[in-house]
Amino acid sequence: MPTAPSANHLDPAVIDKLSGLDFVATRVVEGFLAGQHRSPYHGSSVEFAQHREYVPGDDLRHVDWKIYARSERLVVKEYVAETNLSCHLLVDASESMSFRSLAWSKFDYARWCAAALAHLVLSQRDSAGLVLFDESARHKVPPGSGAHQKAGIIHTLEEATTSGTTQVGEVLNWIAGRLRNRGIVAVFSDLFDDVEAVIEGVRRLVHEGHEPILFQILDPREIDFEYSGFLRLDGLEETGRMIVDPKTLRAAYREEFEAHQGELAKMARALGVDFVPISTETGLEVALSTYLARRAARARGMRA
Amino acid sequence: MFEGFVHPLLAAGAALCAVPLVIHLLNRRRYRTLPWGAMRFVAAAYRRTRRRAQLESLLLLLLRMALVVLLALALSRPFTDSTSALATLTESRRDVVLLLDVSGSTQYRENVETTFERIRTRAREILSELDPSGDSARLFVCSSQARLLSWRSPAEALSILSTLETPTEESLDLATVLAEVVHTVEKDLEASGALEIRLLTDLQRRNFAGPQGAPSTDPASRVEPVAAGSTDEPETEHALGIEESLTKLQDRGLRIVVEDLGPAATTPANLGVAALTTESPILGPGTPSEISVRIANWGARARNAVRVALLVDGERRPSRQVDVPARDSALVTFPVSFKTSGYHYVEAQLEGDSLDFDDRRGHVFFVPPPARILLVNGAPEPGNIENDEVGFLQAVLEPPSDDPGVGSAFAPFRPRTVYPDQLTTGTLQLSEFDVVVLANVQTLSTSAVETLEAAVASGLSLLITVGDNVTPETYNRRLWRSDGSGLLPAELQRVVRVHSRRESYFRVNEFEVEHPALAFFDDERWRPLFTEVPIYDFIASTPLEDARVLARLDDDGANPLLIERAYDRGRVFLWTTTLDRDWTRLPESPKTLVPLAHELLRYAAQPAAQAPRNVPLGASLVAELRGFPRNPMLLEPDGTHRPLEDSSSVGGDLWRLPIALQAEQRGAWTVELEGRPPLVFAVQTEAEEGDVDRIGVSELASLHPAWLPLNQRGGTDGDEGESVPRSGELWRWFAAATLIALILESLWAARLGQLRRLS
Repeated sequence: MPTAPSANHLDPAVIDKLSGLDFVATRVVEGFLAGQHRSPYHGSSVEFAQHREYVPGDDLRHVDWKIYARSERLVVKEYVAETNLSCHLLVDASESMSFRSLAWSKFDYARWCAAALAHLVLSQRDSAGLVLFDESARHKVPPGSGAHQKAGIIHTLEEATTSGTTQVGEVLNWIAGRLRNRGIVAVFSDLFDDVEAVIEGVRRLVHEGHEPILFQILDPREIDFEYSGFLRLDGLEETGRMIVDPKTLRAAYREEFEAHQGELAKMARALGVDFVPISTETGLEVALSTYLARRAARARGMRA
Repeated sequence: MFEGFVHPLLAAGAALCAVPLVIHLLNRRRYRTLPWGAMRFVAAAYRRTRRRAQLESLLLLLLRMALVVLLALALSRPFTDSTSALATLTESRRDVVLLLDVSGSTQYRENVETTFERIRTRAREILSELDPSGDSARLFVCSSQARLLSWRSPAEALSILSTLETPTEESLDLATVLAEVVHTVEKDLEASGALEIRLLTDLQRRNFAGPQGAPSTDPASRVEPVAAGSTDEPETEHALGIEESLTKLQDRGLRIVVEDLGPAATTPANLGVAALTTESPILGPGTPSEISVRIANWGARARNAVRVALLVDGERRPSRQVDVPARDSALVTFPVSFKTSGYHYVEAQLEGDSLDFDDRRGHVFFVPPPARILLVNGAPEPGNIENDEVGFLQAVLEPPSDDPGVGSAFAPFRPRTVYPDQLTTGTLQLSEFDVVVLANVQTLSTSAVETLEAAVASGLSLLITVGDNVTPETYNRRLWRSDGSGLLPAELQRVVRVHSRRESYFRVNEFEVEHPALAFFDDERWRPLFTEVPIYDFIASTPLEDARVLARLDDDGANPLLIERAYDRGRVFLWTTTLDRDWTRLPESPKTLVPLAHELLRYAAQPAAQAPRNVPLGASLVAELRGFPRNPMLLEPDGTHRPLEDSSSVGGDLWRLPIALQAEQRGAWTVELEGRPPLVFAVQTEAEEGDVDRIGVSELASLHPAWLPLNQRGGTDGDEGESVPRSGELWRWFAAATLIALILESLWAARLGQLRRLS
């Protein structure tokens, strides 16, 4: 069982790993703070990124002739234009997020993820904001930067509790019209909502120029339904109660679950949105670093 | 559906089929509560799988319930009869109790086969029909009792059956047999009603319904009882015993199939020797006697000129012929004169007929030796027989040789007269006498009394007579004790005299007419000789409780005249008046004195305790004799010789010699002894066993509902088509079904488990 990260402070080991990775936006966003993000406005600074082999078609201005003179190899220099990133963290605080089969609930896991990302973004001098929602937006920390912003986000996450029902689609729709700065919208939720509603909300965000990332936080038992003996399941969002024999129900449950996951994944692919299912038994650093590494690799591919 | 269960309580275990249901319901109640977020998937899955899961669970539940029910049924071993719808599934397992009548009557031969051989053949057929692996058979042979020879497999019963070669010569005691059979199979009777009891018999009427119209056989033909248990049971008790056993069987739903394997005729022809008797007592060796042989005709037709032969000690006498009416008996008499005293074996024989064993019958007769009488004369009057105390008695015991009343060749008594003081001197050996008569002896010394007591205790008979010399006080002091250890059988009180001999006298008022000593006077012609003789004086007495008063006087107190009492192995008689004519006129009447003295002293001279010499078949044989039996050798009727051992001293010079625990052969059993005459015993069968008169099938069926007789064609006379409804067990089917249910349950549970694990 993974060790539970501290609720009050980010695990230094987690932060170290995350700092070693580049959190690179793939979309051009508006920014005021200098940073490592490529800017559509030809920003104030250009930074050498790396060398790579020359391929026909590359701009000859970027060939490093010094290296050619020494080794007769044609390599080109790559540069990354930096711009400011606005990251909106949307954390689902509905009742269903309180489920746990481990020592921590899905909500615990979600806010740790959110805090880690906030820390990473803010430490790169980008801006970050926070929205806690259930069937509607419950608490908001407007985007900002600096240490006080980080403290505000952390404090809000610590104070948050779960309640209400999940209405992810409506919340995304609602929030899309209210975000002034285009940027990344990281959604931390179990996404136990109608797929159509979620798709509608995501589409709206994309339409408004945001880059949504759907972090689906799931408990391992919600995935495999590995229970024995009769269970009385009390619905967490006033969805009634049922007495079931998990053995007889497991197969159908998994089919239903996987169908839901499949639709979400399909929708995300169609909209070019990242869909990241994370089990709460996965180490927090593993989950985030894996995703960020993949995202960085994808960003390099796009630049090339 | 089922006729019953071998283990009914286990059948109740079928109710345990509710256990899986209860467990299922309890499991549904025993759930874990879990707050759950992903209810949308659970609800959707539940909607999809509810019907199928319910069906799967229901099937599993039903299989488990069926498993319990089938297991309970298999263990409780249900059975059903041939009329049941499940009869085709039964194994027709049979538990047969086979009763073979091996009584003497089954020796009856018709054509070339005896009834016993037919019974044996039929038994073999029945046993051969049984399934050697599944059926069981109990084999009883039945005569005076039922003996269980085999109680396991039909093969074992068949094997034992092949060793049965001859029947017994005993009678069939059906009451005892049925009681023993019921007792033996009682546990099975309580467990189930599946027993099949078959009696293979000749249907001898006297066994089932008692004798009816049978020839009267002389009571003398009955053998001497040797033990209380062997006395003949009254017919009513016998019938009640049969009734009781049959009712027990009927209460358990059982009947006895009776197969008639006897002769074809209802009353088959048969002649038998029923009895050998003497018309009058045998006086002694050399005296002529008559032995009567009673021939019984058990058949339905009269038989004329039946030839009867008689063998005395193995010596054949000329045969005689007799006509015997149908279902009656006739006597044929043989004159016999035994040459020596002692026991003689006499056998009567008929020509052989269909039933052999009753064509010969032996009997042991006792020929008494001369009785040795010691007369102790308490009031002698030499030369004057009329006034001498024992003058008349000695005269009748030892008459002059020219007396025409007694044969000259044999003197039944050898009297010797002595005076009382000779008892004291020790010159007399009392063991040389059979009877001592104390006749009006005034007194006896202490040593004389002790000598007498010892002699009587070892078997001597003592006759005490009184008179003027006897004073009650003196006699009581010496010879009477209240605890019975004295010789006197009664306490003497006082002398009672008539007022005037001319005007009145005492007479015998009553006497025991069946007592051997007085039976002579039972005849109306001779009774007055005893009851009308004047008695003037006597001594009143009070008998001990165990004393037997043989004759009483007609005085006011009905005082005893003659008393008998056993004293250890001997006997003591008290005559309360004189032997001479002082107090009574009896001695002056030879017609009274002769028979009275002879009968009384002959009776007294016989040993008081005597082992019987004529015993029934199966009884134990034992002899008692004086002096150590040297080198005893037993000769059995079949000619077998074997030495006898284990003789033991009874006391004094009396020895007890066991001969056979059970005399199983009819005929003469002879013990040869070194230096003395042989001992001979006659082992006899019951004469009535020769009566093969048979009861009808319908009559037997009417006697008791538990009888289910089959006639010789194999059917009943009633309307019952099948002899016995055969019960068959179903447990194998239920065991197989249990196994199948178990396999199905396991497979189904495994399949469900696999499906759910894979999912």
